[in-house]
Amino acid sequence: MIFETIKIAFQSLYSNKLRTLLSMLGIIIGVSAVIAVVSIASGSQAQITSQISDLGSNLINISPGVSRGWGGSISRSSTDLFTLQLGEEIEKNSPHVKRVVPTGSAGGLFIKGNNNFRANVVGTEEDYQAINKYYPAQGIFFTDYDVKNSTNVIVLGSDLIAELFPESDPVGQNIKYNINNRTHIFKVIGVMENKGRGITGNLNGQAYIPITTFMNKISNSNYVSNFVAQANSSETANQALDEIKYLLDNYISENDEYNIFSQDQLLTTINDATNTMKLMIIGIAAISLLVGGIGIMNIMLVSVTERTREIGIRKALGAKKKDILFQFLIESLTLSSVGGIIGIIVGGLAAYFIAQVGGWPFIMSISIIALAFSFSLVVGMFFGIYPAYRASKLDPVDALSYE
Amino acid sequence: MFKEGQIISQDLLWEVTKVIKVKDISKIYENGKIEVEAVKGVSFEIDEGELVSIMGPSGSGKSTLMHILGCLDKATSGYYSLNKQDISKATEKELAEIRNKDVGFVFQQFNLLGRSTVLHNVEMPLIYSGMSKKERIERSKDLLVKVGLGHRMDHYPNEISGGQKQRVAVARALANNPSLILADEPTGNLDTKTGEEIMDLLQKLNDQGHTIILVTHEDNIAAYAERTIKLVDGRIKEDVPA
Ligand SMILES: Nc1ncnc2c1ncn2[C@@H]1O[C@H](COP(=O)(O)OP(=O)(O)O)[C@@H](O)[C@H]1O
Ligand SMILES: [Mg+2]
Repeated sequence: MIFETIKIAFQSLYSNKLRTLLSMLGIIIGVSAVIAVVSIASGSQAQITSQISDLGSNLINISPGVSRGWGGSISRSSTDLFTLQLGEEIEKNSPHVKRVVPTGSAGGLFIKGNNNFRANVVGTEEDYQAINKYYPAQGIFFTDYDVKNSTNVIVLGSDLIAELFPESDPVGQNIKYNINNRTHIFKVIGVMENKGRGITGNLNGQAYIPITTFMNKISNSNYVSNFVAQANSSETANQALDEIKYLLDNYISENDEYNIFSQDQLLTTINDATNTMKLMIIGIAAISLLVGGIGIMNIMLVSVTERTREIGIRKALGAKKKDILFQFLIESLTLSSVGGIIGIIVGGLAAYFIAQVGGWPFIMSISIIALAFSFSLVVGMFFGIYPAYRASKLDPVDALSYE
Repeated sequence: MFKEGQIISQDLLWEVTKVIKVKDISKIYENGKIEVEAVKGVSFEIDEGELVSIMGPSGSGKSTLMHILGCLDKATSGYYSLNKQDISKATEKELAEIRNKDVGFVFQQFNLLGRSTVLHNVEMPLIYSGMSKKERIERSKDLLVKVGLGHRMDHYPNEISGGQKQRVAVARALANNPSLILADEPTGNLDTKTGEEIMDLLQKLNDQGHTIILVTHEDNIAAYAERTIKLVDGRIKEDVPA
């Protein structure tokens, strides 16, 4: 009997293909949106999380903030407090901090022969390697000697090699770097290994020079862009953070601001943001499901009216109220569950292709599929019950004489 | 029902053979303020194995009476028993069961389910009575062979002629082997020749012992019946054996 009813339901849905598709549209859109958004968010979240934990959860980023001027005083940036000495102070006075690395960066044009490539140059110190777990694949990284003497040496990220040295071995060659209409010449001493997108951006697409060379010759300032501090361990990262804050609060006047965050906090922030976005889109999808449910109810009411005579015949042949109720409920459930399945497939495919383009893993959990599917069943049930009830309580004689 | 060897009285024997007892049945339709009394205090009895025709002009209450006899509708007042069950006291669910098992309908407009095959149409009452699939297919096929449609079982109603449709309807009416077959103008949508073929079929079923009530306004159709009840304006004008 159930099987027969489902078969009849499929027949009647099949005989009105376009109408069936249109009435399922809301469910399809709602379900596919939920499936796609959750999958895309989970995939990109997983990628960001793995990149950040790759870097180590014991990193702390410190950068200057903009302070607001009080009354007549001119607002100024706290940048001018971010000297190399400040980095040394932090390293010396914070017991839980292992090392502090300054960085400064600027965008410019690299030129080698007929090839050129626009990229960031990053001024930093030897410890940059240890902090980012990022080492040269070829040649060497610069040392304290180079920092002390502001030498014109450079280590290139792997992306630059393909563009600037398509054939020759870069190590030992000179390269031109043009910034602010001035051209600098650097000697390439190393090429970095290939590493994915990090929290500091695409590491592969940058080049690295001694911080002092950067400050003296490129930015022409006494200040760095930011510091990255590394705590002794992930467990002590929060203590290290507090120590640095305490020190900076004493160092920097009340009106000055700075930003400080650990990888952990960054991770939390990113996850919070993704989750908020997820919830928002799921909320919109829920509205779509609601609209879809109303669409189903509408089509079922039409179907009941169209088939009044059929209902009368069935009642004359001995169908009980519950048989008719059941038949129409099965039909709306079929409608909504087929819509749900199509939505899952469409959403899954969309998420898969977007993941290919975005380059993150395609994640599709069984639980979200089950959730989306049962939700579409609930919608079919909820919005199907009233039309089915109307059908079941039709008077047999009235229904039989319906034209 | 009776002990073996029990001698029963004539009265009781008379009672036992009645399929239908109708006493003072009335039906009033209320549409807002307007009341229409379609059936006005009708009484009669029908024996097992009878073929009775109900005749009367249009609007005389024939269909209304048929609906009451077929348990599609309830009388406003009066007593009605079918197969010794008091229908006046039956619940909606019980009425559905009676329609399913004790009554078979043949309508003027055939009333087949257009989206189902001929075979599936005949199966329908058996589906609602809960018969297993294998059994009901077997029974439906037998019935279709019996009405001469063994070769059209997989066709859809729109693929067969009117006479064939009515044969399907007869086979469907017989599905649960009901004690009463109700035919409301069964030949009304058929040409004379096909109509007579359907009447021959009903006649044959009556010869095999089925009780049949037939509504018609055609004399030649009514002539098949052993007894004719004439209705005028909701009342019995004549109740005569042929
Ligand atoms: N559902 C209804 N509501 C109101 N009046 C009705 C209804 N059905 C039938 N009638 C009226 O009852 C009377 C008998 O109708 P019906 O039983 O269909 O007659 P017949 O079948 O003999 O032509 C007619 O006057 C008809 O208009
Ligand atoms: Mg009539």
